[in-house]
Amino acid sequence: MIIATYVKHVPDAEARLAADGGRIAVDDHAYALDGMDEYGVEAAVRLKEAGLADEVVALAIGPARSEAALRTALALGADRAVLLETDDDLDPLAQAGPLAEATRACGAELLLVGGKQADWDSAALGPAVAEALGWPVCDWTTELRLEGREVAAVHDVDDGSEAWSASLPVVVTTQQGLNEPRYPTLPNIMKAKRKPLERRPLTATARVVTLAAALPSRARRGVRLEGDAATVASELARRLRDEAKVL
Amino acid sequence: MDFALPDDLLALQRAVRDFAQREIAPVAVELDREPRFPRATLRKMGEMGLLGILTPEAYGGLGLGYLAYAVLLEEIAAADAAHATIASVTNGMPQSLILTHGSAAQRDRWLPRLAAGDAIGAFCLSEPHAGSDAAALRTRARRVDGGYRLDGSKAWITSGGEADLYLVLAKTDPEAGARGITAFVLERDTPGLSFGAPERKLGQHAAITTSVRFDDAFVPEDQRLGEEGQGFVMAMSALDGGRVGIAAQALGIARAAFAAAARHAEEREAFGRPIREFQGVGFKLADMATRIEAARLLTHRAAWLLDRGTQATKEVSMAKLAASEAAVFVCDAAVQVFGGYGYSADYPVERYLRDARVTTLYEGTSEIQRVVIARQIHRETAR
Ligand SMILES: Cc1cc2nc3c(=O)[nH]c(=O)nc-3n(C[C@H](O)[C@H](O)[C@H](O)COP(=O)(O)OP(=O)(O)OC[C@H]3O[C@@H](n4cnc5c(N)ncnc54)[C@H](O)[C@@H]3O)c2cc1C
Repeated sequence: MIIATYVKHVPDAEARLAADGGRIAVDDHAYALDGMDEYGVEAAVRLKEAGLADEVVALAIGPARSEAALRTALALGADRAVLLETDDDLDPLAQAGPLAEATRACGAELLLVGGKQADWDSAALGPAVAEALGWPVCDWTTELRLEGREVAAVHDVDDGSEAWSASLPVVVTTQQGLNEPRYPTLPNIMKAKRKPLERRPLTATARVVTLAAALPSRARRGVRLEGDAATVASELARRLRDEAKVL
Repeated sequence: MDFALPDDLLALQRAVRDFAQREIAPVAVELDREPRFPRATLRKMGEMGLLGILTPEAYGGLGLGYLAYAVLLEEIAAADAAHATIASVTNGMPQSLILTHGSAAQRDRWLPRLAAGDAIGAFCLSEPHAGSDAAALRTRARRVDGGYRLDGSKAWITSGGEADLYLVLAKTDPEAGARGITAFVLERDTPGLSFGAPERKLGQHAAITTSVRFDDAFVPEDQRLGEEGQGFVMAMSALDGGRVGIAAQALGIARAAFAAAARHAEEREAFGRPIREFQGVGFKLADMATRIEAARLLTHRAAWLLDRGTQATKEVSMAKLAASEAAVFVCDAAVQVFGGYGYSADYPVERYLRDARVTTLYEGTSEIQRVVIARQIHRETAR
């Protein structure tokens, strides 16, 4: 059984962002493997280590620098990687078709996708690719087991969790808590350089086009209250009650 | 000339930064207050590959060069200096000496354990009466049937009592000065080998330091490293690499102190504005950043020279001198920028200052680095 796991190269949570001519500019080195995708890679690698899968293939869509995210996945234990290379900023629906095709092409029967992609802040990709494949999807998964060809999973819902099962092939999207992803060790990072990574040019049409981008302004919102203690205290109480509405 | 680190190294740096910040930084305060040898995190460092950075892959190490060594050790030190000291000793001294001077059998026997972190290595040169003047050491190794018997004591041994392997320098020929010194590798359980209580120190408490005693300790012949009389020359040449490690450690501590000070200067207000707006504070930050940058360039260049196989004794000493002095300067300035909070153990900068202080002392004091640099200048000028 082959597992495909989707990885996205996204700006690191601590990356310094700049808005430049209607696009967000980020230093190339400030990108990292999306944290939500790490859960997927970890889940895939654990299934393989448990002898339940034969191969783990990491798939990415994005510009050439996305190779770094794939190398991380390889360092974490994926066997090989495929990059569908495009400089277009494809929205989740535009990515779903090519990702479905790549999943079929590598013969995978389980596709793991991050519950949400940090760059679009969107949870659409997993369900959209399941739709394109015609496979069932379990989203926001916090527990995943494989017994023969049966996938048993638990996912979060508003008022608790649901247990769920389906036969392969299946798309599973991840959620924090699914596992504790390992670190890529230095020997594995070095070995990952020698694992196979295939690049295929991708031409796809974005459905959503970014017109402008701006950073949220960081206005200082602090207020200094002046006066004697009694005045300041009653003014503070008034603001907390009437304006902030926390009292 | 290209000052950018190679992409491959940046990837390793990033991985080590994540690792060090998530696994090591959180225990730094606790280890400072309740000192203990940090076995659990050292084990994780071993799994990460950080205890055999320079050792070839064939022996289970990473097989990287000194530039990578400096870059990665800086990340460890920025999280906790004591871990960097332990790592620097085990990587820099026993492993590099066994690698360059060990027989094939000795390399097979010790390098894989050290590189994996299954064994931690210690380096025993200094003695109560022989620090800067290390060649004046008195520990005696007498030839006996099948090997040697060691008598004497060492001082200030990092990882003493905790390490598994001890690289020891002892006199086989007391008449021959530095050329009468020979290197040996001892296992911790060697009969006649014992350790003093951990020294009480200013900082870096988790990098346990003890005296080491040899009472008629038998060392088989096959645990002698190199030939008789070569020990001191071997140790001095390994110190070039060791000192790059101390320079990198100093940079890591300085960087952490600078980052804390720069953040504090943005957030702390006095006289109605952030204190960074006062030139007295801004200039301090400017000097701190400049000293760090200059020291890092010297350190990376010295490491790069070692990687090219060039003689770099002078450059390594310059790097060690500049980086350790920069670290003390930067940490002291960070305390000043923090004001009274800088003196409080609830904030990290007083610990950085205490941790940084030893970097101008061990592996050759700042004065000794200047002696080395001046001697090299003389050699270049007089020839
Ligand atoms: C925390 C810690 C860990 C250590 N770990 C190890 C270890 O693992 N293994 C090991 O072998 N050693 C270790 N050392 C020992 C360390 O290397 C020595 O302390 C150092 O070399 C200085 O020697 P000393 O303490 O005897 O000082 P001294 O040599 O007595 O020096 C005292 C002062 O005199 C100055 N001085 C001496 N000679 C000259 C000169 N020619 N010109 C100008 N000034 C001079 C020195 O710079 C210094 O300021 C460690 C030390 C410490 C503090």
